[in-house]
Amino acid sequence: MTEVQSEVPGPVAWTATTPRRTHPVTPIVKALRIAPGLLIFFFIFGGEGVTQAVGRIGALGVVALLMVVTAAASWLSWTRLTYWFDEDGDLRIQSGILQHNERRIQVSRLQSVDVSQPLLARIFGLAQIRPEVAGSSGRGNNLEYLEVGHAHQFRAELLARAAGLEVGPNEAAPMAPERVLVSVPTGTLLASVVLQPATLVALALFPVLLVAGAVTREFGVIVPAFFVLVTPIVMAGSQFLQWFNFTVAESPDGLRLRFGLTSHRSQTVPPGRVQALRLESPVLWKRWGWARVIVNVAGPAGEDGAERPSIVLPVAPVPVARAVLAHVLPGIDPFDVEVTPVPTRARWRSPLQYGRLAVGASDEVFVARHGWLVPKWDVVPHARTQSVRLTQGAWQRRLRLASVHVDSTPGPVRIEAKQRDETEARQIVEEQALRAMAARAAAAPDKWLRAKVPLSEPLIAPAVEGIEAAVEPGDSL
Amino acid sequence: MLGPFSVLTIAAVVASVLFFPGWATALVVAASVVWLAWTFWLIGRQVRATGYALRTDDLLVVSGIMFRRLVIVPYGRMQLVDVSRGPIDRHFSLATVQLHTAAATTDATVPGLPFGEAQALRDQLAALGEQRSAGI
Repeated sequence: MTEVQSEVPGPVAWTATTPRRTHPVTPIVKALRIAPGLLIFFFIFGGEGVTQAVGRIGALGVVALLMVVTAAASWLSWTRLTYWFDEDGDLRIQSGILQHNERRIQVSRLQSVDVSQPLLARIFGLAQIRPEVAGSSGRGNNLEYLEVGHAHQFRAELLARAAGLEVGPNEAAPMAPERVLVSVPTGTLLASVVLQPATLVALALFPVLLVAGAVTREFGVIVPAFFVLVTPIVMAGSQFLQWFNFTVAESPDGLRLRFGLTSHRSQTVPPGRVQALRLESPVLWKRWGWARVIVNVAGPAGEDGAERPSIVLPVAPVPVARAVLAHVLPGIDPFDVEVTPVPTRARWRSPLQYGRLAVGASDEVFVARHGWLVPKWDVVPHARTQSVRLTQGAWQRRLRLASVHVDSTPGPVRIEAKQRDETEARQIVEEQALRAMAARAAAAPDKWLRAKVPLSEPLIAPAVEGIEAAVEPGDSL
Repeated sequence: MLGPFSVLTIAAVVASVLFFPGWATALVVAASVVWLAWTFWLIGRQVRATGYALRTDDLLVVSGIMFRRLVIVPYGRMQLVDVSRGPIDRHFSLATVQLHTAAATTDATVPGLPFGEAQALRDQLAALGEQRSAGI
């Protein structure tokens, strides 16, 4: 029987892989995870009564017992937890002792892959990997813990499959090379974290509070005030720890973000998954000319925003931030788009933002400018427009104004064309719906490496057989 | 719309009868009557101002009087279509159709449709959405 070779490559015949397990040390790490919380409970906050009843040793014994129980339960669920790729190329995770659960994750729906090392896992050289898919609950997709090298390898494999590369059953997926775009210096990060309104106020009032405490000794008032003031400072501190050494790198996988001091995290945002972007230049940073870039990435429904990638660049000089934003949208410069301002009567409705309000649209993106204390540039590609809304409050109707909302997936960026003339607003809505439809018809396919849609200015020409290309030495813009 | 406010009003009246002196009760009852009358009138106007249109490529929904809303949802962006009915809806054989996209802010809700029409609309939308399905 002769085999017919067709011109057009047919659908890839995936072969299922053998099931793999997470690292055996996982149950121990999970048991250790609960220790700090329990110790704090028994010895500092809340459980002192119990400690007094059974004595210190007794309390420690209880903690140890709970840890052993947790380790045993974790071990049982470890034996049941396996993951593999099935015949369709999708990821399957099987778990559960009493309730058997098998989850199927469509790699074509992959939004981003996150490899993170919480402090405890880092000590053991382990990492957790979380593939994020739009519309599914995030918790179940979290694979804890793999050895760090394996985790990165697995991520490469997931992203390769999402891109449509063929990966043989037990061969290593090619690790996409990367080019570092920008790395945030520690001094800049520290300054940016301090230069936030809440932090500055807290820092300014702190010495006042200390002096007041020393002079009046009115501790009933001082202590609660202390806790109120210390909160923004603690938040700033945790932001600093989280974004320490923030590095943005570009690869055929997409944007790679790496950050963190105690917990190291690595997030990948595949191209075309970014739903909307925003460039913010807070007025407090104006003197140094800094800005930040935040994005909406479609992620698991109902999960808190902290887990989903949302900060692409916490702080950088404005030209650098603009360049990174332009990298996320290949071939498009959103700042080139012509914007039209709002009618003069909008001043009655938005006196502070009036000067900055403007919107515009190009062939690929819709752009909105707004904000007063924090000037913002919002960008949404037409292909990522979910729905378009026109709203008009009573006061707006008196002024013949209306607002247009371009809806995107949940995230920090909300695109709104505020206070436009009402006929113009209706026109914008209809035009945006048309553009969105046209853009979807021409949208880049989900498996972006398979169909050879050229990303404008590709850094490295991706060859399907294996990525071998010169990695350019990391240069920051 | 009607349900929660009516329940609250009735609860307020009952509470005032039980706990407040005569003149306060009369005041609460009068206020409740005025409030209910106004709500009925308002809802009547709002219903007349609510509408939907199935266009070639998208669904258009308008609603609101004081605060006007117009939503355009392309068929390809639809993720889910809900048909829901509260107890009062069921009594009058009405239903509410709600369209969900990947955006949480999409507000395409058509209340008060006759149940048969609501189901037909849902099936039509599901078919159109399937046809134009375009991922995220």
